[in-house]
Amino acid sequence: MTIDESETRRRRSRSRTRRRFLTAAGTAGAVALAGCSAERTGDEGDGGDGSGSDGDGTGDGTDTDDGDGEGDGGDETPTLTVATYTSFIDAPSVSPGEWLKEEFESRVDAELEWATPDNEVNYYVERAASGAGIDADLYVGLTTEDLVRVDEELDGDLFAEAGEVEGRDAVKEGLRFDPFDRAVPFDTGYVSLVYDGTATEAPGTFDGLLDDEHAGALIAQNPGASSTGRAFLLHTVNRFGDGGVASDGDGEAIAGADGDPDYDYLDYWTDLEENDVRVLGSWDDAYAAWSEGEAPMVVSYSTDQVFADMEGQDLDKHQIRFLNDQAYANPEGMAVFADADEPDLARRFMSFMLEPAVQGEIAQRNVAFPATDGAELPSDYAELAQEPADPVTFTYDELQGSVDAWVEAWERQFAGN
Amino acid sequence: MTGTDTQRLTRLREGVESHALTALAVLTSAALVVAFYYPTATVLIEAVVVDGAVTLATFADVLTDPFYFGELARLLSGESPTAVARSLLSPDRRLGIVGFTAYQAVLSTLASVALGLPAAYLLARFEFPGRRTLRSLTIVPFVLPSIMVAVGFVATFGENGTLNAALTAVGLPPVDLLFTLEAVVIAHAFYNAPLVARVTTAAWESVDASAVETARSLGAGPVRAFVDVVAPQVYPAVLTGAALTFVFTFGTFPIVLALGGFQLATVEVFVYRLVRDLSYAEAAALAIVELVISLGVLLAYLRYEARSSTNTRGARPLPRRPLFPPAPTLRELLPRAGLGAYAVVAGVVFLAPIASMVLASVTGGDGALTLDHYRFLVERQQTGAAFQVRPWPAIRNSLVFATGATLLALPMGVVVAVLTTRRYRGRTLVDAAAMAPLAVSGIIVGLGLLRGLVFGVEIAGWRIAASGAVAIVVAHAVSGYPFVVRTVSPGLAGLDRSLVESARALGASRARVIRDVELPLVWPAVVAGAAFAFAISIGEFTSTVVLATGAHAYTMPVAIERFIGRRLGPATAMGVVLLVVTGLSFVVIERLGGEHRGL
Repeated sequence: MTIDESETRRRRSRSRTRRRFLTAAGTAGAVALAGCSAERTGDEGDGGDGSGSDGDGTGDGTDTDDGDGEGDGGDETPTLTVATYTSFIDAPSVSPGEWLKEEFESRVDAELEWATPDNEVNYYVERAASGAGIDADLYVGLTTEDLVRVDEELDGDLFAEAGEVEGRDAVKEGLRFDPFDRAVPFDTGYVSLVYDGTATEAPGTFDGLLDDEHAGALIAQNPGASSTGRAFLLHTVNRFGDGGVASDGDGEAIAGADGDPDYDYLDYWTDLEENDVRVLGSWDDAYAAWSEGEAPMVVSYSTDQVFADMEGQDLDKHQIRFLNDQAYANPEGMAVFADADEPDLARRFMSFMLEPAVQGEIAQRNVAFPATDGAELPSDYAELAQEPADPVTFTYDELQGSVDAWVEAWERQFAGN
Repeated sequence: MTGTDTQRLTRLREGVESHALTALAVLTSAALVVAFYYPTATVLIEAVVVDGAVTLATFADVLTDPFYFGELARLLSGESPTAVARSLLSPDRRLGIVGFTAYQAVLSTLASVALGLPAAYLLARFEFPGRRTLRSLTIVPFVLPSIMVAVGFVATFGENGTLNAALTAVGLPPVDLLFTLEAVVIAHAFYNAPLVARVTTAAWESVDASAVETARSLGAGPVRAFVDVVAPQVYPAVLTGAALTFVFTFGTFPIVLALGGFQLATVEVFVYRLVRDLSYAEAAALAIVELVISLGVLLAYLRYEARSSTNTRGARPLPRRPLFPPAPTLRELLPRAGLGAYAVVAGVVFLAPIASMVLASVTGGDGALTLDHYRFLVERQQTGAAFQVRPWPAIRNSLVFATGATLLALPMGVVVAVLTTRRYRGRTLVDAAAMAPLAVSGIIVGLGLLRGLVFGVEIAGWRIAASGAVAIVVAHAVSGYPFVVRTVSPGLAGLDRSLVESARALGASRARVIRDVELPLVWPAVVAGAAFAFAISIGEFTSTVVLATGAHAYTMPVAIERFIGRRLGPATAMGVVLLVVTGLSFVVIERLGGEHRGL
């Protein structure tokens, strides 16, 4: 590969907010093909610190890149790079990505680029740890656990405080999961049981799952790899207590809501295992096996009927059950990267995400629930998307230093070969 | 052109030829270092360097943990061997995760060999309409993403699956196969029996007919001739297939949980979780344990291969017998009856799951037949946003990357095969280094590529990074080339050295001898190696998503993963596209490769 000087010059003149690049491309226009780059690490004041969004990056910006990249760098349309998980922008049914991009760009003079690295937040943790700079402005789709993990791993701050974000006050009290005010929740989902009403009647309580009539009837997911599986595990910890698994010897334990200090989540899982619960790998594995009738109940989301209705399926076969009238809430948040090139634009986007109309659209397109009071939703939305009477979730502080131990103790009990 | 020009050209050609081997060896090493060794090292080193200090504590913890090593962990923590041996013999012994992983890998290997050998026998020794196409298609299962296989298996072997429907129809009791070790082992055989079959077929097709004829003319019966002449040339290939199967199934990951459940979790399941939770030290330590075991098996096999190679000048393959002889005798009927029974088993294990996948792709939410899922693909192609994954670019990228990776993997593999068939001190080390890409956890390689290539290396104030198409092709070639080595090398080692020496004595360069003498003699193995390199690239997922930064370098497996939703229809439709595209590609590769080039 040779270093293509003209490519370099074009890039340098194009943008003052971007880092300088030497793109080593074999042939002209082959940026996406070669994608080998050499980048000056000591920036000499050419503005940005951390935008690494090079030519083969995300987005559909190839035309605009060539079109308005005239090079005097004055009042060029700024680009906001929003990192998220893939199904937020690309799912076979619906996803909010496209609508959000169009709507935001129609209101703000900016271009929105999506970035969906495979490792999700971990990708940015890795980038920060490798000193490679952060190439996005904000992350959309942070969970409480993500934040706990990020903070345990990195000494410095990956995310900045939310600061001036309009509409933050409207976020429901129970969903605010970041004690350091970085992540602002934008939607939430509930992990519940989904069952085939023509094959079984799901029990109303955790204890009911242990009845003989439900032997072999439940499929769950590996809490080490699937967020649904992890939410269900955390729900059992919440219900039965952790028996001091994560106490580091100080004797502190999470007390279960069941009020029995001698029966913890591991005991419950022993009983579940005896009743032949199936713990498969991913949500896909579990839902596919459930769809094929391998078992009548599966751990999934309380919005299942929204999809079933969309696809004209028999709703009797897609029933929701909240055990003990509860479901584990998985609020999703967004936060500005501390190294963002466009922090103001990022905050502008966060405010946009919290607008009542946008909240309604996100909820419908992400098939979830709004994070704010007053979101505009069709009146019949609640008929299919069900919310539990009593949502439960662990706070940041409760998860910190505990969640790994809970999962590991469960693994050691359940795998036991 | 003047005479001097011609002379200069000839000299140039000779110069290139004489250094071609060295140059290729250097390039191969460079590709390995850039796309494998350096990236992988950035992760594995975390096993011994924690917070900047070198420590063996993580290792010691893993090795002495009964959860991972079962009763053996007690041995490693200093308990008396007799006590450990006694508990190992007791019925409630603990294998530990590592022990169980090895155990299921051994079972899977046995099943794969048992299901692969009859196929090799059929393909190598019989003539029937569609034989070449069938041989080309054998590797198709090898490229299927695990979610597709899981869907096919649940639909076939599940409680309400095809198998149980068939059993009930003929009055037999239904079987409860799902979420058992049996299901996992069968799924592993689904993936790896084709590997055993393809490698063995290639070796069987290289057996020289004249050697068998000589044996027969010296009075050996057909059985004796098989045992003395054919078997010694075929079973190194069977062992190649077995060793590779062991390594693959030892590193198995998503399929175990999809069809077996968490009770059957393997080492890789924990590597994945630990990496996801950023517990790199323990993840790296476990990955090293995996690497040592896998590499140990490969090296043990290679020692055997080196010792057992037989000399051959092989050129004229054994004639194939018609599968359907006009007037069969009893002796002709027996093997054919056996193959008939095998066809039934193969139908259940290989065809039924694939047929179920195809069926799932044309079944709607209401159970009726529909083309909606294919309509989804067309629609996504036409109206999908630029940042979304669309089917056609995925197909195109897959084909381009796989072609590139194959063209790169072939010379890499041949060079390494040539280097490792020579005998010299330290060959084991070269062998180990060359085979390591097979033995390292895919999850670790993926993370390594992210750190080593995508983020790049800082050298003298510059950060050199690589991602996108070229990086993907190189990474795929690195994972695929060991197959070329393993298919080509046994044949090369078995070649009569006097052929090479005479050619050299006549003035041919080493590269020329390889090209004109050695490779034509092992041509079926070269074609098989090419097909595997292609297959590895088509099926690769982890490195691809890491290196395909942005939305433009995704491949078919990525599209499948993206199209998985609550309904499996769109994903299975894309899976069928993958099936068809790769099936056609394999047919083309083998046609291009030709049946035999011979001498």
